[in-house]
Amino acid sequence: MNARLKIEYANNEGALLRLLGVVERRGFMIKSVAMNEHAEGGTASLIVEVAPRGAERRLEVLTAFLRRMYEVQSINSFEPRQDQAA
Amino acid sequence: MSAVGASMREEAPQPVSGARLLTLALEAEGVTDIFGYPGGAIMPVYDALTGSKLNHILVRHEQAAALAADAYGRVTGRPGVCLATSGPGATNLVTGIANAYMDSVPMVAITGQVASPLMGTDAFQEVDIFGITLPIVKHSYVIRSTAEIPQIVAEAFAIAQSGRPGPVLIDLPKDMGVMTAVPGPVRPLSFPAPQCASNEIDAANALLREAKRPILYLGGGVSIARGEQAVRDFAARSGMPVVATLKGLGAVPTTDANFLGMLGMHGTKAANIAIDSCDLLVCVGARFDDRATGKLDTFASRAKVIHLDTDAAEIGKLRRAEAALCGDMNVVLAELEADPANYADWLAECLESKREHAWDYNAPGAGIYAPKLLKDLSERAGPKAIFTCDVGQHQMWVAQHCQFSRPQAHLTSAGLGTMGYGVPAGIGALFAEPDATVITVSGDGSIMMNIHELATIRRYRLPLKIVLLDNSQLGMVRQWQELFFEENFSEIDLSDNPDFAEVARSFGIEAFTIDHRSEVDGAIDRLLNTKGPILCHCRIDPRENVWPLVPPNSANINMMEKRK
Repeated sequence: MNARLKIEYANNEGALLRLLGVVERRGFMIKSVAMNEHAEGGTASLIVEVAPRGAERRLEVLTAFLRRMYEVQSINSFEPRQDQAA
Repeated sequence: MSAVGASMREEAPQPVSGARLLTLALEAEGVTDIFGYPGGAIMPVYDALTGSKLNHILVRHEQAAALAADAYGRVTGRPGVCLATSGPGATNLVTGIANAYMDSVPMVAITGQVASPLMGTDAFQEVDIFGITLPIVKHSYVIRSTAEIPQIVAEAFAIAQSGRPGPVLIDLPKDMGVMTAVPGPVRPLSFPAPQCASNEIDAANALLREAKRPILYLGGGVSIARGEQAVRDFAARSGMPVVATLKGLGAVPTTDANFLGMLGMHGTKAANIAIDSCDLLVCVGARFDDRATGKLDTFASRAKVIHLDTDAAEIGKLRRAEAALCGDMNVVLAELEADPANYADWLAECLESKREHAWDYNAPGAGIYAPKLLKDLSERAGPKAIFTCDVGQHQMWVAQHCQFSRPQAHLTSAGLGTMGYGVPAGIGALFAEPDATVITVSGDGSIMMNIHELATIRRYRLPLKIVLLDNSQLGMVRQWQELFFEENFSEIDLSDNPDFAEVARSFGIEAFTIDHRSEVDGAIDRLLNTKGPILCHCRIDPRENVWPLVPPNSANINMMEKRK
């Protein structure tokens, strides 16, 4: 089952790579990505649609590993409808 | 000029080079020792080092700088610092950085980088070390402005030490180290400590009341949190049996009456039997690593779990916890209530099992029996000795047969399993605790991975005591090929090893060789009584295996034992 994560983060150098790297390394495929820096600069939103690489991969474990990253300010996760690609 | 004008001019901060800002920032963090190796892109920093208070230890390979910094961080609890140039200097740090990441060791790694305008042009000795290390650092920086160096150094140290520690990388382009800036104020960084929910404490206490067969399962987090006393207090007032992971050894003294030993693949039979039949697992600072659990769904399969860790991401990662205690163990353990009377029968059963399955040191023949040698060495070195080791059979024998009165007395590459860790770790430990008796136990495969560091030992006259267990083979690989690959021995023969005693002597280090059991007592005397560095080369039986052993993908209860 695909899930969608909305991550608010400090848009430091390498932050996007760091976030997407954790998603991949913790056993999730990236299905779609949308990112934009906020107008005031410094922070950004990332919406990433993910699918687990096996039944043993749990979304709550992934979000816990993302949440502990230095740049991450908040994470919301939800399961999108089929027509809601990022 | 007026006196006031002169005074104002004196007080105005003067611009200094980025490299000088870096050394000043390190001094401000309380850094005294740095392990490193110079090169082109990092030369501005080496230029600034000569005018600083920092003590630089010149190793002979950057990997050793990172591994020594790792050991320094483990012993002191403060970040170990390593320094290397760009390109190959930086990539040579990678194994040591990964080692620190896997074992949650505080470290700050500083790498030189080609000048900013050259970055991204495939310049000489350019490598994207920031990108290469992304999966193995807690955080990382590229310096983009000389003025931000003090702030970034302060952040790096705060991040490396906060919560669950880890390595932080600072990549310094050469021009950033050369350009000048006026030092500005540093904004302090604070990380709120996780607060354990009271309902989870209540749930844990209810589980402790209901339990009849609980076990305290300790991991490396105890050492990281400096939580030994809190753990020992809880162990004493709860009266429950205790087991530990490889990194958890020493969290309670390994001589403690209620300590059943290490659990897992090469753990004690008593520990694995107890885990198999427990009804409550009180996991403190451990992470259900596969080497500890064996086949996960068979691990403590009848037990409920109380999981205490400062890292929320570890709780429930591999095993669901009925009580999730995310917080500082020094606080949370004091809130747990357990009545030892409820567990007395269970404890007696575990201690009987411990007696029944105690190590047998009666080995046939006249050759050196490594487990007995290590047991005797450890007992005679005393509880304050620090053991470092490499990876392989000798690593498991150290874990099984040496005594540890504190976790910092056992420096081992647990998560990454880095052959070559032992000697650099001994160097790091001796800079961290110069008065300690530091003993490195190595194998003939492992020691060759960083044997050049004998030169570092000689240069700084470090009184490291090296015990080299030489079976002329890659012993652990051979053991697995014997047991699980139908004796199809492949590329494990090291019978063309050099004469290790001669090698050590060529580095200016006292050395001797033994190959008979009757020589062991005298060798231990000589090791412990020699004031300078010394290497004892011990030839052991190449057919000796590490026992017991849990086969791969098997339950811990299915331990293979030595045939008698």
